[in-house]
Amino acid sequence: MNERSKSLRISHAGLRGVVGNGLTAAHVLDFAAAFATFLQREGAVVVGRDPRASGVMIREGVTASLMASGRDVIDLGVVSTPVLQHSIRRLGAAGGISIGASHNAIEWNALKFFGPGGSYLSTAEAGELLDIYHLHKFDFAEWRGLGSLHRDEGAIDAYLADLASAFDFDDLRSYRVVVDCCNGTSAAILKRLNELHGFRFVLINAALDGTAFAHEPATDRRTVALQLAPLVEPLAADAGFLFDADSDRVAFASERGEPASEEMVLPMLADHLLTPKTGQLVITNLSTTALVDVVAGWHGGRVVRVPVGRQAAIDALAGYSADQVALAGEGTGAVMMPRFRFVYDGIASMLGLLSLMSARRCSLSRVLAGYPAYSVLKGTHRLSSQRVPALMMALRERFDDGAANMVDGLRVDWEDRWFHVRVSQTEPVIRVIAEQRGAPPNALFESLMDQVRSFM
Amino acid sequence: MKREHLLKIGVSGVRGVVGEFLTPSLAAAFGQAFGTYVGAGRVVLGRDTRISGPMLEHAVACGLLAAGCEVVRVGVQPTPTMQVYVKATGARGGIGITASHNPPEYNALKLFNGEGLFFNQYERAELIDLYYQSSFRQASNDEMRGIQDDPLTPPRLHIDRVLKHVGVERIRERRFRVGLDGVNGAGSEMSCRFLRDVLGCELHAIHVDPTQVFPREAEPTRESLGALRGLMLERGCDIGFAQDPDGDRLAVCVETGEVLDNDDVLALVVDAVLARTPGPVAVNLTTSSVIDDVAALHGVKVFRSPVGEANVVQAMQAQGAVIGGEGSNGGVIFPAVHACRDSYTGMAFLLDRLASSGLTASGLAGRLPRYERRSGKAAFGHGRLGPIMQRLEGLLPGAKLDRTDGLKIETPHGWIHVRASNTEPLLRFSVESRSARRAGELHALTQAVVAEPAGS
Repeated sequence: MNERSKSLRISHAGLRGVVGNGLTAAHVLDFAAAFATFLQREGAVVVGRDPRASGVMIREGVTASLMASGRDVIDLGVVSTPVLQHSIRRLGAAGGISIGASHNAIEWNALKFFGPGGSYLSTAEAGELLDIYHLHKFDFAEWRGLGSLHRDEGAIDAYLADLASAFDFDDLRSYRVVVDCCNGTSAAILKRLNELHGFRFVLINAALDGTAFAHEPATDRRTVALQLAPLVEPLAADAGFLFDADSDRVAFASERGEPASEEMVLPMLADHLLTPKTGQLVITNLSTTALVDVVAGWHGGRVVRVPVGRQAAIDALAGYSADQVALAGEGTGAVMMPRFRFVYDGIASMLGLLSLMSARRCSLSRVLAGYPAYSVLKGTHRLSSQRVPALMMALRERFDDGAANMVDGLRVDWEDRWFHVRVSQTEPVIRVIAEQRGAPPNALFESLMDQVRSFM
Repeated sequence: MKREHLLKIGVSGVRGVVGEFLTPSLAAAFGQAFGTYVGAGRVVLGRDTRISGPMLEHAVACGLLAAGCEVVRVGVQPTPTMQVYVKATGARGGIGITASHNPPEYNALKLFNGEGLFFNQYERAELIDLYYQSSFRQASNDEMRGIQDDPLTPPRLHIDRVLKHVGVERIRERRFRVGLDGVNGAGSEMSCRFLRDVLGCELHAIHVDPTQVFPREAEPTRESLGALRGLMLERGCDIGFAQDPDGDRLAVCVETGEVLDNDDVLALVVDAVLARTPGPVAVNLTTSSVIDDVAALHGVKVFRSPVGEANVVQAMQAQGAVIGGEGSNGGVIFPAVHACRDSYTGMAFLLDRLASSGLTASGLAGRLPRYERRSGKAAFGHGRLGPIMQRLEGLLPGAKLDRTDGLKIETPHGWIHVRASNTEPLLRFSVESRSARRAGELHALTQAVVAEPAGS
């Protein structure tokens, strides 16, 4: 496939691309100007970035457009996206822009936009922002009304103080934890957690070097296995955690150095948080493990399945009151909790997992052993867009003995297994995922892939 | 239609009214074109004290970084100080964010090459082609350089250079009482330090707060310097200096409260320089004949160039001039310090001349041959200049003609220069004669021709 075709993406999720090859200064300036025009509320705009070298260029462009639009800019420096969202609320700002490409490789960067209170933009809001961007009519201020730049150094400390009030730090600080920071923003946060709150986390890949990541900052089992997992046992740690560059996702390994599936974060946190007192709903997407349903069943909770992608989860959340929902998340290690105003937050998720271990008074591998085993198979195939509807119809007919959901591609559920075939939102591919309790669903998966190949 | 150049991209770079016209996107694109032109390397970025300076500084930094340049941010600095610094530090070039003497709603980008000189017309043409083609260098993440701050070195380098050419002790011993109007511009702090601490003057300064808006018309003229003139008389100052917002232009007020013609200021400096180092002189076509008289006393030649600093500098370099400038707008160019208009060189030489001659400022000026000068302007109209030139030529048969920049007509009793402004939609004319009556006649004649409706 042509590399160039993947190097820039302008969507409801914001602006994302390979810097230089796809994402340019011009995009950044126009998008930030569009955001300033979009914002309804008076007030400053908070800006933070991950350590990528291109983030300085992007910050300068964002700052210029915001100031030109009459907005004061509060620069937090290198902070995670959840810290940025926290600061938007703390500072009573009109909104914020996060500069960072989370789990993407170092040559990428992105802009993500947040409204008052640090909330994600709804799909309708994001659509309006895109319309303004495309119209290219921006509300620049006249020369006397330009905004000014301010710095705020206390974002991480204030965020940690908030976490301290939500988790029992006295209890958690005794855990010995090793963390692979992927040279990302978690390094800055966890260093302060050690300094300010007496934790003893051992950090690796903690240098904020903007031109070289030790490895891709992906929160999956394969990346955990690279450098983190082999260190857990030798360091006699209770757990190993890994964060993407902007620390909104987490992955982990047990005290035995076994990398866990990224799919485990959501069901384990659901297990910890679902009580009759808290909300009863778990919002997740159609590609996430059936273990979530099992766990929700234990606590009398219910799972709401929405299309894949953050936007769908965010829109779904808006339809429920906060106390109806226990948590929301994806099988990628991105989870949001009501205690944290539904912000995807890897650090809070990690503290949640440690709290679960503490409540159960057992090791991480013992906690993991308490869940029924599921095996998942995932595949992709090059997309031929025109034939997608026919493919879905054919699959629906062929697997008509299961419960079908056609909200996002096709998902079919049986008693102990399910599959989901859909079009990726980030790459021109068809994604196939099949899961089964116990052994891998090899036959089902192969027949799905054969069918996909015959259509594409 | 009123012809207002709210945005002008061309011979003098980019200049426009901030807000709707001079946008951050445009400034960033120009920065990126500049970075593409000078190549990946260090580029100096500074500004004057205009309110829109910080916003544009971020935008230009964004463009430079996107082109793979390292940005050396020097903050608020006079234009000549930036130029000295660019050359002394071996940077690839520099950008000064300043609209010089234009009103505060304007801003502009001044472009310097690696020699710290204004881009000549060939460099400008190539840069503007790059800008329009949008064929910018797009640095990838690992080619991204950062931003360095160096606000302290430039004034030190500049002042050190100026001091090599004057008798510092001689000036200090006199403890001159000096008035200063810094227009709250880029030179405000540096001029106070220079005059008070370095040259030991008793300083009476007004408008030297760079955080405030311009308190008077930005261009230092007889009409705009009422406050300085009052201050001079009240405090009994020996001499008074006034700068424009970016510290390249200098106006001088003598102890009687009289503001000297800029041509006479230049003549005094030319005289001071030639007394130390005889050599050729170069000035623009609108500069007074008093320069020819002073040069004749020292037995050296005067060369004339079109109006515009870059043009004068080119002529100076071609002719090996030791001193030059633009009498019409208060610019002294002394290449031994740097080939740019420099108010600091002007101040130092005038104080040195006062010290060595023992004369008062008015006494010094009184020794210059007296010329009567008049000037005027008219709205620019396409195709207007040619007929005006032809008409004037017909009215003054037998005069010496120079068509290098508009038309300069020299008669035995005085001269007329009519031309199109480089920066504003204006036709400008100047006349000069030893006799007030003749000057009045030449002015009336030109005024009448210029005022004739087009096509008559």
